[in-house]
Amino acid sequence: MAEEKNIVVAEHISKSYVGVQALNDVSITIKEGEIKCLAGENGCGKSTFVKIIAGVEEPTAGRIVINGKEMTKHTTKDAIDEGIQVIFQDLSLFHAMSVAENIAMNKLVKEGKPLTNKKEIEKIARDALNLIGVDIPLDVQVQELSIANRQLIAICRALALDARLLFMDEPTTALTKNEVDSLLNIVLGLKARGIAVVFISHKLDEVMRIADSITVIRDGHKIGDFAASEIDSKKLAYYMTGRQVDYQQYSRNLENEEKLLEVRNLTKKGNYEDVSLSVRKGDILGLTGLLGAGRTELALSIFGLNKPDSGEIYMEGKKVTISSPDDAIDLGIGLVPEERALQGLFLQKSVNENVAAAILKRLKGLFGNIDSGKSRALAKEAIDTFRIKVYNEDTLVGTLSGGNQQKALIARWAASSPKLFMLDTPTVGIDIGSKAEIYEYIQKFASEGMGIILISDEVEEIVANCNRVIVMFDGHVVKEYTEEEMKDPDIKEKINALVESGKPGKGAAVS
Amino acid sequence: MKAFKKIDRTQRFLLIIIFIYCIIVASRNSAFLSLSTLFALIRSSAGTAILAMGVLMVMISGGIDVSFPAIAIFGGYASLRACMTFGITNMFVTFAISIGIGIVLGIGNALLINLLKLEPFIITLSTASVYFGLMTIMIGTKNVGASLLPPQFRTLSSMKLITTTNQYGGTIGLSVFIIPVVGCIFLTWFILRKTLIGKGIFAMGCNNEAARRAGFNVNLLRIFIFGFAGFLAGVMGIIYIAGTNSVNPVSLVGTEMSVIACVVIGGAAPSGGYGTIFGTILGVILYYLFNQTLVYLGLSASWQEFFMGIVLLISLISTSWQRRVQSRKNFIYTE
Repeated sequence: MAEEKNIVVAEHISKSYVGVQALNDVSITIKEGEIKCLAGENGCGKSTFVKIIAGVEEPTAGRIVINGKEMTKHTTKDAIDEGIQVIFQDLSLFHAMSVAENIAMNKLVKEGKPLTNKKEIEKIARDALNLIGVDIPLDVQVQELSIANRQLIAICRALALDARLLFMDEPTTALTKNEVDSLLNIVLGLKARGIAVVFISHKLDEVMRIADSITVIRDGHKIGDFAASEIDSKKLAYYMTGRQVDYQQYSRNLENEEKLLEVRNLTKKGNYEDVSLSVRKGDILGLTGLLGAGRTELALSIFGLNKPDSGEIYMEGKKVTISSPDDAIDLGIGLVPEERALQGLFLQKSVNENVAAAILKRLKGLFGNIDSGKSRALAKEAIDTFRIKVYNEDTLVGTLSGGNQQKALIARWAASSPKLFMLDTPTVGIDIGSKAEIYEYIQKFASEGMGIILISDEVEEIVANCNRVIVMFDGHVVKEYTEEEMKDPDIKEKINALVESGKPGKGAAVS
Repeated sequence: MKAFKKIDRTQRFLLIIIFIYCIIVASRNSAFLSLSTLFALIRSSAGTAILAMGVLMVMISGGIDVSFPAIAIFGGYASLRACMTFGITNMFVTFAISIGIGIVLGIGNALLINLLKLEPFIITLSTASVYFGLMTIMIGTKNVGASLLPPQFRTLSSMKLITTTNQYGGTIGLSVFIIPVVGCIFLTWFILRKTLIGKGIFAMGCNNEAARRAGFNVNLLRIFIFGFAGFLAGVMGIIYIAGTNSVNPVSLVGTEMSVIACVVIGGAAPSGGYGTIFGTILGVILYYLFNQTLVYLGLSASWQEFFMGIVLLISLISTSWQRRVQSRKNFIYTE
């Protein structure tokens, strides 16, 4: 391109809701073929900005110029006509409908022809898939596809409407490393066609690899535009939160060498095989490896779900059979599951009820009823201790941000004071500020004598929090790093290299 | 064989059951394999087949309707009484009155759902009572015997499209009912499969919010869907009266669950987003096959409910199993 054209020029945009200033004098320019990251903590106003550009919300002040045209009354339809498309985090797909129908749907509605034609639908879909060079069978139902492929369908749907600017909300959250790589490649392909892509993300290390520029928003203000080359994740975290975020590396300082949990030769066919590990009081044992390595399945087995085929579990030296979460709770085991919204929280219930959920037995009143006074006091305490941002303890958990939801879930287990606490990827999709707080709690629990298993994809997270680490591939433990090894200053690179080596195409996995 | 592979699991399952059942009945009683059985089956299942199309469409859109028998009888009975009072003998007008009432009442359902934003189940449960009550108050529930029926009803009841003779020399014929049935099925198929509205119905059943984001006006779609269900109920009301050749206006109420069962057995997802016309037709056929032919096996008609229940249970077990396998893939353990 000889001359770079601007797709969107937003100048001095402000937006206030009743009493809240969501955006304050924010100016952002998006060029043709540019890849931009819009970074900021939850509630900083970045989604408000996207909604304004997409025509969903009207700004209280400011000027929007799209493709050289000044937009006076900017509606969703205007935005779509100008080629602006938002891919929401939930993807908004129709799961029981075919790939072709999903891709073509928005275009069909836009054209508004009363009759539809299968050939035409398939042509729209095939053209869009060809644009990104991907081959997905057209008549398969979307629910049969992987999350990564569903994402591609959502991209194709936008392309079918001649998108020139794509907003993608947290696109990498549920993807494996390989899938992220191929998604980024596709985005680079779009860039080559002059399509601009704006990532809205907390987890920036991945998208930063291909981004041209990064715009940081904090508390409704634009902090600045940065070239991707001049910023690293630490600096970015500083700009996003306004404070220095430094993770203290955890080290255990308990004398007690007794094993709290010991797992011997645990096997579940197709999930994991011959896994042995132990956790002492005060240990934070990291469990990492690629997605699908069997980590989650293992944790579920220890929590009484996903019954193992063979092997033994010992709790405080005694052999135990854990056949339900109830057994696990009685033994003092807690689990923050991988999908907090789906498997952990009661979204339609209050913070109070969510926090109390694991210790109902202890909240029993005189007649076996739940003592609501006790429960309320407990919830209030949890809100204070964990700095959960809510109006009061009756606020529905579903209305909280991801970080606050996760804190509520951790508060639930903290209330039951478990001996062994397992957290499965607890910081996925959570902003940096809340992340640091969650690390702080985990380390505090451990130093008070709790045994912790932390499952994570982020090696940085593992290194910062764990005093021992186990790497799994394909259901097998391939390497255990001891406390001594974890003190190695190059440990992060070593673990990274080991995890990377398990990627398909980069040599066979160790088995 | 290729066509057999193309249809979904439920439909294959139903076809196999129907096939096996027919073989069993035929081996016990050779009278079963005759045109007259087929013709009787078509005639008796006509009303249910029409209603099932409406239920199917509502269910695909993610809703449920339990008010359609009330709407059908309201439309049919009001039309009958109007014809008797004003001496109307025109077939077209007879249907038009019933269909008009059906559409209005159906749209009433949709407006209430749109306005109150509540579950279609509880809303149609209450409108079923309201509609039926309204009819009772306004036009009563007096039985109308065959001799009093206006001529167009009797014509509809006895008219045959094809006639032939059976082995005993008697005359049997294919009821003219087949025409509205095929018409309604074709219309439903066309809307669901060939129009943008149809795509919207599937879309809102899959994900209401996403359908809205895609640009569909889901409130308008709902008005269409329930209006269409009302239209079908109106058609059925007349067929019903002609079919029974006399009318007891309270007898249709309470049949909603068996129609819904036919649709669910046919593979439509009660949660919305999925369902097929062919599956629904198979569900209806199975229901009336049991209804009409258990007598050949020496069983009373009360076994019909039992067998339908068993088929429904088996298909639910298979759905549940599939879902469990799917959940396990996503690490959700429900057992």
